[in-house]
Amino acid sequence: MEPIIHFAPYTGWVYPNETVFEWSVLIAVYPYLTGLVAGAFTVSSLYQVFGFERLKPVAHLALLTSLSFMIFVPTPLLLHLGHPERAFNSTITPHLTSAMAMFGFFASFYVALLILEGWFAYRPFIVSQAQTKTGLLGKFYGLLTLGSHDVSEPVMRFDRKWIFALAVIGIPAAHGLHGYVGFMYGSLKSREWWSSDLMPVIFLFSAIISGVALLVVLYVASCKLRKIPVDAACVKGLAYTIWAFIMIAIVLEALAFANLVYKGREGIDMIMEYVTGPLLIPYFLLQFAIGMIVPLLWLSYMIWRGTSGRALVVGVTLCACLVLFSVFMMRWNVVIGGQEISKTGKGLLAYHMPFFGKEGALMAILLTIAPLGLLYVLTRLFPPWADAAAHAHV
Amino acid sequence: MPKHIFRLVSLIAGFLAVTIIAIPFLVPDSFYRFGHYRANSVIEIAAQEPVLQTANYCKDCHTERHAQWSASNHKSVTCEICHGTALGHPQKGKLPIPKDAARLCTLCHEAMPGRPRTQPQIQVAQHSSGQQCNVCHNPHSPKIAAALVKVAGNAAAGKRKAADCAACHGEAGISPNDTWPNLAGQHAAYLVRILAAYKSGDQKDVAMTPLAQALGDADIQNLATFYAGLNCKGAAGGKAAGDAAAGKVLAKNCVACHGETGIGSNPAWPNIAGQQPGYLVNVLKAFKAGLRKDPMMAGVSRGLSDTDIANLAAYYAAQNCQSPKQGKAKP
Amino acid sequence: MKKEDSKPTLEARRAFLAKLGGAASCAGVVVGAATLGVVPAIAAKTGAPPDAGSFPTKDYDWTKHQWGFGVDATKCIGCLRCVEACKNENEVPRNAHQFRTWVERYVHLEGEEAVRIDSQQDPVNIQASGSEKEFRFANRYKDAKVDKAFFVPKLCNHCAHPACVQVCPVGATYKTEDGVVLIDHDYCIGCRYCVQACPYGARYFNEEKGVSDKCTWCYHRITKGLQPACVEVCPVGARIFGDQKDKQSPISLFIRNNRVQVLRPESGNAPNVFYVGIDKEVN
Repeated sequence: MEPIIHFAPYTGWVYPNETVFEWSVLIAVYPYLTGLVAGAFTVSSLYQVFGFERLKPVAHLALLTSLSFMIFVPTPLLLHLGHPERAFNSTITPHLTSAMAMFGFFASFYVALLILEGWFAYRPFIVSQAQTKTGLLGKFYGLLTLGSHDVSEPVMRFDRKWIFALAVIGIPAAHGLHGYVGFMYGSLKSREWWSSDLMPVIFLFSAIISGVALLVVLYVASCKLRKIPVDAACVKGLAYTIWAFIMIAIVLEALAFANLVYKGREGIDMIMEYVTGPLLIPYFLLQFAIGMIVPLLWLSYMIWRGTSGRALVVGVTLCACLVLFSVFMMRWNVVIGGQEISKTGKGLLAYHMPFFGKEGALMAILLTIAPLGLLYVLTRLFPPWADAAAHAHV
Repeated sequence: MPKHIFRLVSLIAGFLAVTIIAIPFLVPDSFYRFGHYRANSVIEIAAQEPVLQTANYCKDCHTERHAQWSASNHKSVTCEICHGTALGHPQKGKLPIPKDAARLCTLCHEAMPGRPRTQPQIQVAQHSSGQQCNVCHNPHSPKIAAALVKVAGNAAAGKRKAADCAACHGEAGISPNDTWPNLAGQHAAYLVRILAAYKSGDQKDVAMTPLAQALGDADIQNLATFYAGLNCKGAAGGKAAGDAAAGKVLAKNCVACHGETGIGSNPAWPNIAGQQPGYLVNVLKAFKAGLRKDPMMAGVSRGLSDTDIANLAAYYAAQNCQSPKQGKAKP
Repeated sequence: MKKEDSKPTLEARRAFLAKLGGAASCAGVVVGAATLGVVPAIAAKTGAPPDAGSFPTKDYDWTKHQWGFGVDATKCIGCLRCVEACKNENEVPRNAHQFRTWVERYVHLEGEEAVRIDSQQDPVNIQASGSEKEFRFANRYKDAKVDKAFFVPKLCNHCAHPACVQVCPVGATYKTEDGVVLIDHDYCIGCRYCVQACPYGARYFNEEKGVSDKCTWCYHRITKGLQPACVEVCPVGARIFGDQKDKQSPISLFIRNNRVQVLRPESGNAPNVFYVGIDKEVN
């Protein structure tokens, strides 16, 4: 088979080997998914650990969201590998100096942690299902009970301790997982655009806002689908969370950019040419202006005016959509943008995303949507709804 | 501890135990032997077969070419640069002889900003009017032979010594015989080169070899100066068997070195206008048969038939030996 | 707690416990086996070489060499025979975009502040060579007023602290005892992190093999007493190769007799390709 290599057009001087884009859009999707995981888990922790009662309606949904996205996190990486069948080499002989080697461990630890957390949270439900359901589904729930149907108060107290402990461990794990994704880029000295100490923190905060925003969208959508009223207090709680973290995210990004420009090391001329040229729209307009400043101002206005009811729900949901878009643009601008600036510091390349193919736009879209499908299945097996209708039989 | 916790912990512990036990079995052989990598991969890489074989590989079969090349100023340009990699040769067939020398040679010798001054470079447009490089240059020894020989002999002394040569080459350097060359007006540098070649044995002739061996270096210089100074006016041109008109067509291939009418401007190469036709025929046949050695002439004479040779000889023999302005000078 | 168990669950539980017990004892056996059998196995994998013979081949002992590479840019004529030889020697894809070694041309034109840089992958040079599979510098500046111009051969720097080795997640690229950075094509997973990490653009991704690739200093040649292909064919001696442990080797003499420099010293990679005659723009 003729290998399909796309040679990127360039201006100025670039190393010959740079004319092939090694990290495609899939590598932008990957931190996007991890970010959603970390963000969603943060929401669940806010309820489980910090006792934000108003987030109760989304607490279980956050767990399921986190889990279904986490399961899809490795897929863009696997699709991108030259030898996906060797992927386990990184767990068999992990090279500890590599920022990437620990991924297998971090990820599997985190998946295990999410499953455990979910298991404890859903145990009463699983037990009740195992006792009532028959057939294949009954067997499935029976298996999940591990043979113990004990849901007495002392046992539940025990379980709650575990939930709390796992959530406490989960916060650094989720954030560590995502911070490490930032470190993967920030630790590379070959690219000025990536090589920043702030990179892990920037990734982390943008992850949190994207995860919270995703939950707003999912929660509002699920309420509409299930034809139940949206819990305004919960939406407002999520809005506060976005509002608080988006400010930090903006400040961090701005600081990183200011640092880069102010230090003005080798290749800064080319970076300035890049940000004021090809990057003007994706970076300043889409990522910052539309994706972050508009939601921030809009949310501030709504909080200031005490907006409530339908206006609040619509406003927050739209803001959340903008934030989701902005965070994807941030991943794109880091991953693709970093490669569009030549390592020589004397040239720029242009990435052209194919639509079809293993690393095309269609695949990227499918991979971003696929976790929602899994989430749908999970919500059928383990209803996360905290409203009265859902609680009736627990 | 509630039993579901116990079972859960057991499950996790079991999973971890299996993983920890399995991993050492999955680690490839020789991993960690020297570091965090497969030591066997070093062995595998070191065992790969070299593709480029180096000039020593060519030496045993192409002895003569190798000797010529290794003594030349092209000895830093290895065989495989021009002929391709030798892995599989000769078992899998011949290596190519470059067809387009003008393109190949200019890779290194086209004058180009950035090339160091020490590198010999040419202005392609002004150098050879589009001719192939190997018309004048032997790729295996590209420096044009004897071009730089300085002749500083004494014509009077040469005249005395020339008494021994007069029997065959004539007193005035015009041979009385069809098969011996005229020497009058010949390039001195060429004469020095040829005499030296007879003396050293590089070129052999029943009559010339013993005569030349008796000459000292000074004698050679003197003789060359003497004959070069003679007037060739008396050259007879002789009666030729070939067709001069057909020869003129063939002679286009010789222009670069010998000029349009057989008078070249480069003193390294002989004038052949008005030369004895029988001599020209003999010499060309000798080049063709490899009896007389010259890489350039060997190449150009290879394709000539006996008729071609006779025609060429007839053409050059009929030319005026004294029309230097007619030949286009080509340095 | 037990009181709340219904009878069927009790039985199920007993069965489960029985199985668990079995599993536990199995695990015990395995763990025992592990301590007896596996640990020596690991020790064998991590320990000293079983035979004291030379490595990696019978006739070549890598502890006795420390290779180094020199580039004398003042001699380079930009003929690109090194690139040609390297592509032939190492099965580098025949295109104008992926190289183990390449040559750059730097040209300062009169009245221009910025230096013009190109290499054989430049469209103008591809046009001059007639194909992406052939390599030739177009004489594009022959009619221009050139202040200063020179060629610079490039290749993997075989750094003492290679960023590419640091980031490889599996250990598929490594530094050998004799100072060469190699890639294990049978172990590389193809993540291309190393390609990103190299500040010199020395690595490329081989789509056909699904692995990263780069210059090995022709490890299969140097371990047989030959020169790397590019050094072998360089007609002007712009490439110098040798053993830094041998004080009279070409590379030792080159380093001793010249003021040499390395590319991007600030990266901390500590390259082992030493340059003479490069200018401030070269990195």
